[in-house]
Amino acid sequence: MGKLVEPDMGLIIWTIVTFLCLVFILAKVAWKPLISAIEEREHKMKADLDGARAARDEAERIRKQLEADVAGLQAKSREMLAQATKDSEVLRAKLQASAEADAKKIKDKTMAELEDEKERLKRDLRKEVAGLSVMVAEKLLHKTVDDGVQKSVLDSFFKELDNKGSN
Amino acid sequence: MNFEHILEHHLVDKIILGPFFVFHGMWYGEDPIGLTRNMIMMTIVAAVLTAIMIYAAHGKSRAALMLRTGLEAVIIYIRDVIVHPIFHEHTDHYLPYFLTLFMFIFVSNLLGLVPFSTTVTGNIAVTGALAICTFGLIQFAGVREQGLFSYVKHLAPSGMPGWVLVIMYPIEILGMGVKCVALTIRLFANMIAGHIVSLAFLSLIFIFAEMVKWLGLVVSPAAVGLALFVYLLDVLVSVLQAYIFTMLTALFVGAAVHPH
Repeated sequence: MGKLVEPDMGLIIWTIVTFLCLVFILAKVAWKPLISAIEEREHKMKADLDGARAARDEAERIRKQLEADVAGLQAKSREMLAQATKDSEVLRAKLQASAEADAKKIKDKTMAELEDEKERLKRDLRKEVAGLSVMVAEKLLHKTVDDGVQKSVLDSFFKELDNKGSN
Repeated sequence: MNFEHILEHHLVDKIILGPFFVFHGMWYGEDPIGLTRNMIMMTIVAAVLTAIMIYAAHGKSRAALMLRTGLEAVIIYIRDVIVHPIFHEHTDHYLPYFLTLFMFIFVSNLLGLVPFSTTVTGNIAVTGALAICTFGLIQFAGVREQGLFSYVKHLAPSGMPGWVLVIMYPIEILGMGVKCVALTIRLFANMIAGHIVSLAFLSLIFIFAEMVKWLGLVVSPAAVGLALFVYLLDVLVSVLQAYIFTMLTALFVGAAVHPH
């Protein structure tokens, strides 16, 4: 049984030599191509992954930018709308004010004209009434009064009339 | 003829050519050196392994592609789980050693299960030689990664008073040797155990037949069945032990590379 656990020096050396030769030969002919193939594939996968990630980030960035742009445009359009509304309000107020002013002016003018007209008519009416009164008086008196008397009488008459009217 | 004779007949290495000269061993008597069965078997293993690897690496056929795919899984596993945690950016430098170690032990174990072959990893000289290679790798990697001075300095844990170091250095150096002896015996014993148990089961037939003739006949199906079971178990053990030897080698080397 002892022979089982007695190491044979020849076999030890044979094993070491065989094994180390195997290490160097396999490293050259087998492991190197296999490992480089694996690493190449891993690099490619990593590059693809990085590329995909970069593209996704870029897309995300563009999306964000577009969103920001849209938000900006919306804000701007809202602002413009508000401005326009305000402007129109101001304009409307201004127009209304000017229209009211115009109307007032026209009304004032018309009133003034009407006043003038009234005055004129009053004057005409007085003249007419004076003429008529003279005519009536003439008829009543059957005598003509000269123009000078007529005027003085009429003036005093109108003065009285005015005084009466004012009272 | 007793069981010991059977075991020695089947499991002890035999010189086929020679002996050419006799080596006078240090620990035990004379050691005749000649071409043995295990040397031939190991050469066959090396040749088969090299052929398979070249076929896998350079073959263009479908079978080669399948073999390569399987091997790549093994390579990636050994690289990412065993070697990379220890060597980090120097992984590529050490990876071929560990891959060869794993594949050599694995193929040796499996070819040892082929009838009429021998299990080279079931010989203590072979496992011892592999452990010596591990020992050499520990020193090589330790010095290469740390520098000679730092490696020697970190053999013992730092921050100890001088008189403790006097004790620690021999213990640590002894520990390194013991680790390798443990590697030797673990692989050797695991690979030889299956054979011993198989032989024991098969011997049962003859032991019972010696007592009563027909009893041997009755026992034989059970014995053969059990031997077959152990044989299948050996297939599992082949993978397991190759993995364990590789992983422990990496662990021991890692301890030398990273002293903390």
